Formats: sequence, C-alpha cells, structure tokens
Amino acid sequence: MWSFIVRRLLIMIPMMFFISVICFVITELQPGDFVSQYLDNPRISPAQIELLRKNLGLDEPAHVRYWNWIKGIVTRGDFGYSFAFQRPVGELIWERMGWTIFIALGAIVFQWILAVPMGIYSALHPYSFGDYTLTVIGFIGVSIPDFFMALILMYLMLQMGAASVGGLFSPQFVGAPFSLAKFVDLLKHIWVPLIVVGMSGLAGLMRVMRGNMLDVISSPFVTSLRAHGLDEKTVKKHAIKNALNPMVSIAGTELPNVFSGTIIAAIVLNLPTMGPFFYNALLNHDQYLVMTFLMFIAIITQIGNLLADIALAILDPRIRMS
Amino acid sequence: MRRIFLLILAVLFTAMLMAAPFVEDTLLTPDPNPKMGGTLYLALTGSPQSFNFYGTLDNNAYTVVGQMLTGLVEAHPVTSAIRPALAESWVVSENNKEVTFHLRDVKWSDGVPLTADDVIFTFKYFIMNPVARGNSVDRFTIEAQPIEWVKVDDSTVKAILPAPYAAFFTVLSHAYIYPSHALEDKIDKDRPDSVNDLWLTNTPPSEIPANGPFVLSEYIIDQKVVMTKNPNYWKVDSHGNKLPYVDKVEYIIVSDAQVRLAKFMAGELDYMAVSGNDFPILKERELAGGPFRVFLAEPTQPTPSPIHIAFNFDAENPKLREVFKTTEFRQAMEYALDRERIIDEVYNGLAVLGGVPVLPSNKAFYNPKIEEIRRPFNLAEAARLLDELGFKDVNGDGLREYPDGSKFEFVLTLQSSPQEYQDIAYIYSQDLLSIGIKVNLQILDSSLTGQMFGAGSFEAGLRAFGNQPDPQLRKAIWQPGTQLYYWHRTTRDPETNLPIFENMLDWEKRVYELFELGQVAMDHAVRKTFYDEWQEIYAEYLPVIFVCKGMNLYAANKSLGNVEQNEEGLLSYASWTVFKK
Repeated sequence: MWSFIVRRLLIMIPMMFFISVICFVITELQPGDFVSQYLDNPRISPAQIELLRKNLGLDEPAHVRYWNWIKGIVTRGDFGYSFAFQRPVGELIWERMGWTIFIALGAIVFQWILAVPMGIYSALHPYSFGDYTLTVIGFIGVSIPDFFMALILMYLMLQMGAASVGGLFSPQFVGAPFSLAKFVDLLKHIWVPLIVVGMSGLAGLMRVMRGNMLDVISSPFVTSLRAHGLDEKTVKKHAIKNALNPMVSIAGTELPNVFSGTIIAAIVLNLPTMGPFFYNALLNHDQYLVMTFLMFIAIITQIGNLLADIALAILDPRIRMS
Repeated sequence: MRRIFLLILAVLFTAMLMAAPFVEDTLLTPDPNPKMGGTLYLALTGSPQSFNFYGTLDNNAYTVVGQMLTGLVEAHPVTSAIRPALAESWVVSENNKEVTFHLRDVKWSDGVPLTADDVIFTFKYFIMNPVARGNSVDRFTIEAQPIEWVKVDDSTVKAILPAPYAAFFTVLSHAYIYPSHALEDKIDKDRPDSVNDLWLTNTPPSEIPANGPFVLSEYIIDQKVVMTKNPNYWKVDSHGNKLPYVDKVEYIIVSDAQVRLAKFMAGELDYMAVSGNDFPILKERELAGGPFRVFLAEPTQPTPSPIHIAFNFDAENPKLREVFKTTEFRQAMEYALDRERIIDEVYNGLAVLGGVPVLPSNKAFYNPKIEEIRRPFNLAEAARLLDELGFKDVNGDGLREYPDGSKFEFVLTLQSSPQEYQDIAYIYSQDLLSIGIKVNLQILDSSLTGQMFGAGSFEAGLRAFGNQPDPQLRKAIWQPGTQLYYWHRTTRDPETNLPIFENMLDWEKRVYELFELGQVAMDHAVRKTFYDEWQEIYAEYLPVIFVCKGMNLYAANKSLGNVEQNEEGLLSYASWTVFKK
C-alpha cells in the first residue's frame, strides 16, 4: 500500500512538469500580454509602457520567463508575482481558498446526499413514475448551463420580493463577526450556490448510482443472499454497499470540476471564490497567477484521483494494490 | 491690557481664518434638512488591485482612492469647474509661470496636520516618479521640462512652471496628496519603484490616513470595501453641518452587470450607473412604483467613450490610402452615416449627437459651430460626392468601381463587444451598400483589434476614445503625430516618438499647432479660440467621424437624498453630500 502511494506521488512530479509546460505554452499563445491593455490609455506614455514591460520581465523571451518561474518554485517555493496586484501569487490564492473550499465541499455533499438516495430509489423502482420524475429532474440540472440556472433562480427570488440576491451574505453581514444572525443569513443565501453548483453533476451521479444498483440487484450474489433466506432489508443493505464502490472512483474527479467548472456561475452568483478571480487574471494576462491556478487544479485532480483509489482499496476487498 | 486683548483677538481671528472650512455648493446640497448617519451602498465592478493611486493602473482602485484622498484643487462633481480643495487659495504670477498655493488648515484622518512637506513629498516620490506605475510625469512636464515644486513655509508651496500651462489646474485636480508621515520611512530610497509596493491590498486600513471625505476601514477580499467618514474632513454644508452626511460607504464588489442590476432592484445598492439596455426595464419599474428613481442626464463624463469611424491614411493598399486621404471621400462617408437611426435603434434613444469630441455639456470648451458643419444623413448627397470623385458603377453589378475600373471595397475592423459596435457597423455598412460601396466587416476580439489599430494594420476602423473636460488631456489622441493618432501613423517617428511634419496634411499641421498653442496659453478665452478652431477643422476635414455619445444613465434608491437633476439636464450627486432619508 505505502509503496503504491509513494510511487503515485513520484509519478506526479514529471506529470506536473509536463502540465506546466503545456499550460505555459497555451497562455503564451493568447495574443498580447499584461501591458497591452494599457496601450490605448492616453494617460500612459509609450516610454512608461516600455518601462513597465521591462520591470515585469515581459521583454524576456518566453523560455527564459518559464525557466525563472519554475526555478522560483523549486528553489524557493515562490510561485511568482501577480502583475496586477503586485503581490505574491501564492498569497493571493491562499486568501481566496477558504470560501472556495467551503462552497466546493458544500456542493459535493449536496450532490451526494441527493444523488445516492435518488439513484437507489430509481433502481429499486425501475421505469416507474418516480424513476422518470427523478431522471427528468436530474437531466434538467445537467442540461441547463449553471450560470443560466443561477440567473433564473435570482430572477425568481427577485420576483418574490427578496431583499438580497447573489453573494453569500446580505451586505450588512459581509465581514461581520460570526453570530447566529449571520449564520441564518448564510443559510438564506447558501442554498442558491449549492443548487447551482451541485445540480450540474447531480444527474450524472444519480445515473451511475442507478446503473450500479441495477447491476448489483440482478447479480447472482444478491440472488444467493435471498436464497439464504435473508430478509429484504439486509439484502438491500448489502446491495447498496456494493453499488457504492464505483461511485468512490468518480468522487476523485468531482473536486476539480467544482473548482474550475463553475467559474461563470460563480461570477453570476457573486461568490468570493477563486473562479471569478482566475477569470479576471486570464483576461488581464496575469500570467503567473493563471499558471499557478492551473497547476493548483492539476494537483487537485491528481490528489483527488489518488485519494479515490486509496478509498476504493479500503472499501473493496477485491482490489489489491500492486 | 488693551494690547493683550488685541493680541488675543488677532490670534483668534487668524485661527478662524485658518480653520475656515470649505462650504459645499448648494447645487450638491439642495435639501435643507439632511439626515445624518447611515450607510451608503455602492457597487464596484471588480476587486481593487491596490490602494495606492500612483502604484496601480486599475480603475476600481481609483474609485476607492478617490473617496479617501484629494488634491490641492478639485473639479466640481457636476460642473467640472476647478475649485479650491486642500489649497485654500492661490496666486498666479504676472508671467503665468509661478503659482503659489496657500494650504488649508487640514488634519489627516489620524490627526497629523497636512503641510507643504506632504505636497513636496507626493510630487517627488509619486507624481513625478517615472517608475511609479500610475505616475503623472507626462501631465506635469511642459516642453520636456518638469514642473518644479518649492516649499515656501509649512502652509505655502509654489509651483514653478517652465512655461505657461493652461491645463495645469485641471491636471492638478487629479493629483492626490499623500501623507509623508505615514509613508516616507517605508520607501526604499535606493529603489524608486518601491513606491509601487505601498498600500497594497494586504495593508491594514489603519496605515492609510486620508484627507478626503472617507477613510478606508475594511477590505473583505472580493466582497466589499468599507469606508467610514473622515472625522477631519474639511467641508461643511451651507447650514453648517459637517460633511459627509453618511457614516459609512460600502462598496459591494459585483463583477456581473446583471447581478448589479438585480442587487440594485433588491435594494442592496443605493446608487449606480445603468446601461442603455437596462434603462427601459428600470424606468418601467420606476413608473410602476418601484422604490428608486432613474435619471437620464446630459453626458458629462469621459466614459462611456464616444464611438468614431476612422479611415487609415496609411492603409497598406496604395489606392485605398489615396482615397482615404481625400477629404471629399470622408465627407461623403459622413453623409452616409445615419446617426439618428443609430441613436434610435442601437441606443434606444439614450444618446445625443456628441461633439468632435468636446461634449455639448462642456460649456468651457464646446464650439456649437460644429453643428452647422456636421453633415446630416443624406445618401443622395453622399452618392453625388462619390460620383464626383469618379467612383461609378461601371460593370453594372450595383457596386462602384475605382475611376480606373477596378473593384472598390474596404474592410471595416471593429471589436466584438460591446454589442453597439457591431450594430452601428452593420447599419452603416448597409447604408453604404445601398449607394454602391461594399464594406466587409471584420469583427474580432478587442485584444486583437487593439493590436491591429496600434500597428496601423487596418483599412477602416470603428473605435472609441474618451471625452475630457479639457482637450489638453487628450492631446495624445487628437493631436497629429502623437502616440494614439492611429489613423495617420506616419505623422510620428516610431523611433524618436517625434512628429514628422512633412507627412502631415496642411490642416493636420494647423491642428498640431493649435494644440501646442492651447497648451501654453493661460487665458481661458484665448485658449477657447484655439480649441474652437480645432473643433471646426475636425468637423470639416473629418480625420475621424464621430457617431454619437451615450447619455449619463443613473439610478438612485428613493431613500437617497440630495440626488437631483437640474434644468440643464445635469445630474448632481456626490458621496459626501448624499444622505439616507
């Protein structure tokens, strides 16, 4: 087991290196650089633009900039400076990590809490009215783009006379010390992002759960349990446990999805997560910020997969690590 | 005894004089019974990138800093007239080359007095520091020589100008004074660009003293910027109340325009700019009894920039180059521009015919004569001019050919957003097609069009540049031979950045001269004659064809007092004079 984990972690190093090269090349292909947005600004003279470009090191060839960036990370753990904020990139991302993780985990929990029972119900009552209804609900979630769902929800709230739309708190509670009133205000807001972010993955998860469940239910092992005279409740318990295993491997890919797949929704919902921040950095050509964020997503994906594999090994005795 | 009494009286009198606060214009405080206190909620379109005005190039940062700091003089928020701010008064010398400022007796928000040292410090390390990111070196340099600042005594500073400089007070209104007591020892004197690292977004707000109406009190990352009333602000209203009226201003950071609108309608925001698309919805809701007022005001601001159409005098195709340089051709092109229809259909009627580019609301500089010169939409006249130039349909395909019989068409380059750009280009190209001119629209991402215009690699272009209260501030666009005079790049040497006069047309030479004259003349009436002539030349020779200018659209919650629109159509609003009813 440990040698497996160590081996997986070691493989990540060259993987991250290749990913960083690809990402860097892609950000380089974007026309213009951070300074080009100021070319049209009559307040800024051409001499100043040249100076800025030189100070930011943008006059260096791409491979030199890439090398300096990687060297900074490896030797000093320094992910570079944000051109726009003039502060270390790591610091800026770290400041925004809290709410990002909170919403990501919240959305995943929301998905799972709904998807698993929905899948089980559908599988136990296949082709019934309930099965079709749940499927329709799930597919609505998949087919409506999350930003659009966010707009619709906000419109409905506004129509119903809500005094606060978007964000996680009403303005007076943003930054206020924690209190019961603040918590209640959070509850009033948080359901919208959870639904919007969570709904998109819901149908997928539910269908996987339903499929697994149907497979397991009709497998010889369940027939044999029944043949042993176990009551239906115990049979279902065993079936559900077995059907959950494949779900665990999906869990690994959910995390990066929630981090990066909801950028537009986060902008529309005015969430203080990394999504909108990353989007602005992309528009701004704030290269090291973009690169660091991409690397972060890459590492999250890999770690997520590793954790899912480990969890699967623990849960399913048939899987051996070698 | 009598002498002591007189002395006391004299001291008291001087103290009163020195402490005389600035009484705010009643235009901004029409309500005689303002209510004190409360929080004003405003929107910010993105997170500020810094709190250092001179260390960043970010508009959101400028908005926030604009509430905390002021300069020696300031522009009236409604009329843009220059008036005293941190300087109580000033004297201009006979030769127009020395201005002596007498500073108001002002304390920073942390209680330290503001002195001449602060002014000198600000100019030395920030405004005139070429490596400060948001410096203003160019604006305070005349004929390649910097303006010099001298301390006379603690409350007097003198500016020595190398030559008379008319826009001096206008540029000064954007020069915020910084606190030397809070910053001087934080600057690395060996590394002048270290000033950019001051007051970044991780600075504790208590380290940022203010001399404006508000003090930064809290920044919650990506969510809001909170500012509280500066107890030492030096303005009062005409009833003697200390300004500002509200206790707090909270900038809620909302990057999506639709969400800003939703938040405004839900009452989470008190005041905001409205886009032309949202105006009808808001107006409808207002008339249906919504809790807000919507204003359609005469445009006064540089933004949104008015759109213009340019024909590249240096187009790669030599035949096009010749045509585009021909004045009559550009005049024909103006006749073909249906401004009224564009205002109606593209702007929902929420735009006015602008200037060239001075706004009609700019009483100080607008020359109404351009309205007579401006060519109204007249396709027949456009066709006649084109006929005269020899562009006729020779082969009977409905499209005009060059006089030599070859195919005549050109590409109009524009950016894909905002949508107005595409709509205008489409209407224009259809009208041109109806008189036999084929225009190929090239709609690209703004970063690409920016590069193309910058490199002069386009044929015709649709673009926008801002208006300014003083034409001098946009010299870099409208004067031939400058960096942004992009439709005639060969008037500027890219190596030396100097103008090349032999490449200028005669009227361009005159425009060049007029801007130079307007820069050094100090008498407003004299300056106006120069800029009047410039506007007439622009209207006549059309280096670019201005389309129209979007109006100022704002919405204010009904609970907000002292937001009014006057008879001239100007909207008065200032964060330090509004109050919550």
